[in-house]
Amino acid sequence: MRVPRLNRVFLYDEGAAQALNLEEIANYLRKKLGKVAIEVRGNPFALYLSPESILDCARGMASIKIHDATRRMLSGPEPLYGEIDYERRRILGKTRAFGILYDGLELQRLFFKLIPREERSLQFVHIFFTNRLFATWDEKDKRYHARTSVYGIPSIISTTGLVEAPAKPREYYLLKQQFEMLGKDLPELKDSFKGAFIDYEDERLNEVVKGYAMQAVFYSLVGDPFCQDKGCRLYNAHWQEELVFAQLGSDYEFCPRHTKFLEDGEWALKR
Amino acid sequence: MGIEKIEIKEDKTVRELIAELNLSSVPILLELEGEVFYPDDRHDRRLKAGDTLMVIPIVAGG
Repeated sequence: MRVPRLNRVFLYDEGAAQALNLEEIANYLRKKLGKVAIEVRGNPFALYLSPESILDCARGMASIKIHDATRRMLSGPEPLYGEIDYERRRILGKTRAFGILYDGLELQRLFFKLIPREERSLQFVHIFFTNRLFATWDEKDKRYHARTSVYGIPSIISTTGLVEAPAKPREYYLLKQQFEMLGKDLPELKDSFKGAFIDYEDERLNEVVKGYAMQAVFYSLVGDPFCQDKGCRLYNAHWQEELVFAQLGSDYEFCPRHTKFLEDGEWALKR
Repeated sequence: MGIEKIEIKEDKTVRELIAELNLSSVPILLELEGEVFYPDDRHDRRLKAGDTLMVIPIVAGG
């Protein structure tokens, strides 16, 4: 297992859910990582994108939209003016609207370009929080799957992905079909499953995101963000039930192995 | 696959290394001499015997 030295963690808000409080996440990381500096940097576009690069970046964003989840996007069609303009407004912070599905690996690649060259290193953990929904292609079943996160340089955590990617209980989808057929209100259905899954602007969002931020930290430390222990915050949940348990319901935050790793603190760069 | 350190035994290009390791369809970053890059952005970059390269997988969750 690779154990490098961790220098600094940077948190960026790329239009994440409004319920997300980055200072709360930063304070949590400070408690867990002790000697490592945690910095909240705000909007990465405002920080690193020059005015003349905005249009190119917007075009890049518009070109990685997934139009059909069953067809692998190799080189997407030239985006339309309206799509580029939407992305331009999004980059400028003039809208936080969502509803588009992006290729997660391509999105990660676009965000990589924003990071200063001298900070492109595993010594620095860059975490972009976004409300963009992204997916990655699965060669086994030949379709895209929505994701909560992509871990790389930078790591990206999607507040929309936390709602949409892990599957809700099977009964929910069955009842949802019935509700839609009968023209009944979905909020009524959601009420009957209250607490069973993370919803938009959920008051538990910050607590959940803390665990995903730690996954990004472990990714930089050992190359593996995940743990097999279902009660550990590093568990890679594919169901909402698993997510809620790992992040909110478990009796412990981290499994014994990861707790010990954090307590040892050997990975913190001496400053 | 976690982060792996690779010592280059003989001169080759990044493209040749990626083919040799069968990583052409795996999302990864490479780190060499403090520089992190996508392999297809530096396909023709020469790697020298004795170079130490870090292979950093990009991992999706959820």
